[in-house]
Amino acid sequence: MKKLCTFFIALMLPVSASADRALVDRVISNHVIPRFQTLAQTTAQLAETAAQTCDLSNGQVVSDYHAAFDAWIGVSHLRFGPTETEDRAFALAFWPDPRSKTPKALRTMITEEDPVIQLPENYAEASISVRGFYAMEYILFDEPTQALGHPEYQCALFQAMTQDTAALSQAILDDWQPDYAALMLAAGQNERYQTEKEAVQELFKASLTGFQFTKDTRIGRPLGSFDNPRSKRAEARRSGRSLRNMVLATEASLDLARELGQGEDAIQSRYDELEHYFTTAVAKLESPVFAGVSDPQSRVKVEIVQQAVDRLLEYTLGGLGPYLGVAEGFNALDGD
Amino acid sequence: MKTLTQLAGFLAATSALTAPAFAETAPEKAAVISAYADIAEATYGDSLQAAKALQAAVAKLVAEPSAEALEAAKAAWLAARVPYQQSEVFRFGNPIVDDWEGKVNAWPLDEGLIDYVDASYGGATDENAAAALNVVANPTFKLGGTDVDATTITPALLEETLQEADGVEANVATGYHAIEFLLWGQDLNGHEAGSGKRSWTDYAKGEVCTNGNCDRRGAYLHAATDLLVSDLEWMTAQWADDGKAREAVSGDEIAGLSAMLTGMGSLSYGEQAGERMRLGLMLNDPEEEHDCFSDNTHNSHYYDGLGVQNVYLGEYVRIDGTVVSGPSLADLVAAKDTALDAQMKGKLSNTMLALGRIKTAAEAGFAYDQMLEQGNEAGEALVMGGVNGLIDQTLTIERIVTELGLNSIAFEGSDSLDNPDAVFE
Repeated sequence: MKKLCTFFIALMLPVSASADRALVDRVISNHVIPRFQTLAQTTAQLAETAAQTCDLSNGQVVSDYHAAFDAWIGVSHLRFGPTETEDRAFALAFWPDPRSKTPKALRTMITEEDPVIQLPENYAEASISVRGFYAMEYILFDEPTQALGHPEYQCALFQAMTQDTAALSQAILDDWQPDYAALMLAAGQNERYQTEKEAVQELFKASLTGFQFTKDTRIGRPLGSFDNPRSKRAEARRSGRSLRNMVLATEASLDLARELGQGEDAIQSRYDELEHYFTTAVAKLESPVFAGVSDPQSRVKVEIVQQAVDRLLEYTLGGLGPYLGVAEGFNALDGD
Repeated sequence: MKTLTQLAGFLAATSALTAPAFAETAPEKAAVISAYADIAEATYGDSLQAAKALQAAVAKLVAEPSAEALEAAKAAWLAARVPYQQSEVFRFGNPIVDDWEGKVNAWPLDEGLIDYVDASYGGATDENAAAALNVVANPTFKLGGTDVDATTITPALLEETLQEADGVEANVATGYHAIEFLLWGQDLNGHEAGSGKRSWTDYAKGEVCTNGNCDRRGAYLHAATDLLVSDLEWMTAQWADDGKAREAVSGDEIAGLSAMLTGMGSLSYGEQAGERMRLGLMLNDPEEEHDCFSDNTHNSHYYDGLGVQNVYLGEYVRIDGTVVSGPSLADLVAAKDTALDAQMKGKLSNTMLALGRIKTAAEAGFAYDQMLEQGNEAGEALVMGGVNGLIDQTLTIERIVTELGLNSIAFEGSDSLDNPDAVFE
């Protein structure tokens, strides 16, 4: 089988330096910018709705929240440049939270009626554990949190959270266009991207890291071990979004990988096969929050989905990477 | 896989922006790897020696408790951290080290597993039913549904029953941080300066004993220190001439160099810049300090960074002041591309300067806890200086991986590449 594999790779000539710039341009235009535009729009919409009502069970609030969270998951793999400036992505999405910092900090904040929510610029200085989508989820969906303090404070807190989220999302978009896009397109002429390949590698790593986070964290955390399954660790289980996040995140990383391999039939058809395997496996899952991990019968179905994501990861690493002429490099998940 | 390796080498060569300047004669790769293993052996050897000094100080504290004996044990712990933190660069990239490391340096911990804690700590949590178990106070207890007899506190009890009990990583029963907690106690100062304030009387005999169970607390501390020594003995042996860790990096030059750079990059970026430094700052949480009980975090960060620089420069200053050195990664890179080597050295220096600023400020009285406080701009700037330096040096480590043609490592053994049909098996 090794000979076949060598042959398979030799047929695909690596992307040349002159084509790298065009590739980066295309990926930014087709993948990066539209997704951050969606995030900015949906978070602004959520802030607008939240400003008009203090009924947090209101259907419009909840559906706007879901739309904005969907948009975040759609960019959650693009963790470089504008998302990392001023800790923006950390503030939008502090998860996982193994020491339960978010509920603890919210409890203190609500019961003490912390005045930090009164001014948006103050709220932007607050701990990341009380900001963004995962903190908002406690306000909207967690009954013990909802029972704390006064409803007026809860409402004002939620409004501060939605405004902060919208401001962060807009700031990321503003940084992307035109500045950060221009920086990546001028790869080879600046300190940050010292060759054109480094800009390609950045995008490649984003896809790879997205698959890895989904496999190890979004799926791996609730899976735990066979003897010790951990369904309570499922991402956003309170809003019933665990499965939805996992699927959207995988699709986002895959969309980026396909963009990077566009025009190369062998790569596209391979991703077709791997995507089919993934969606077939996902269709067999019963619980939207991975509740089945404790039952051997349904646990194995979650494990198969994890394998399907792993195969996307492996092929991206071993198939797409050599085609692009770039390597895995280091990412934020390298620690423990 | 040879063809793939060659292809990757070709890719790396064609992607270089400028023609490399061949300034110096490259050292043999095997000699660079050998010097790396020598430095690892010396670093773990020093850690072992310092842990033995800690063991002796702890034995004295338990046998003849006094304020002086507790201070001596704390001083020995602080000294022991200096070589050990420099060894952390060997973790990532060397599975033998990474699989073992949790036993000696796991963090953060739910310290209520081990001993008494303040009421503000709370009890069991969603994530950890044993968060407030208090083994020191309870000779027998239930753990994950099983009855445990802890009447005698032994290294085996710590290692086999309590460590990561119930599958929870925060149940840290062994290693430096468990010992640190037993020496200093909880740091209840929040964002104020100051470490834990455990009194020596927590180890006193008879009526002088405070907080109960002084004998069991002493037994725990003794057992944890003995275990640390035996774990470090084991790891030092792995890097000796016939050791498995040395063997693992020596067999294949590409794999050996890759292990060196993986350790440097993974520690710099994901672990130190992310998990240990930036996260605490963003959470404004003094509990996120790495050496929180002893308030030694500034040193912990500094010596982690120094370890990364040691590996690149191929030299290590031992605890007796002698220097272990040999042909280095720096020599290897300089022979291929002097500018890249200069870039790496410059960035490592920048990081050490930034980490040095944190250390300097902390030693002058501006504690790491204070730096993490919400709205403390000077503290934030200091910590972010270190974070940015570490992230920036990782970019250059990536460039070196490409320059040395080590890219192929990443896709060795990739299932879906070796076997295109594997996915449908």
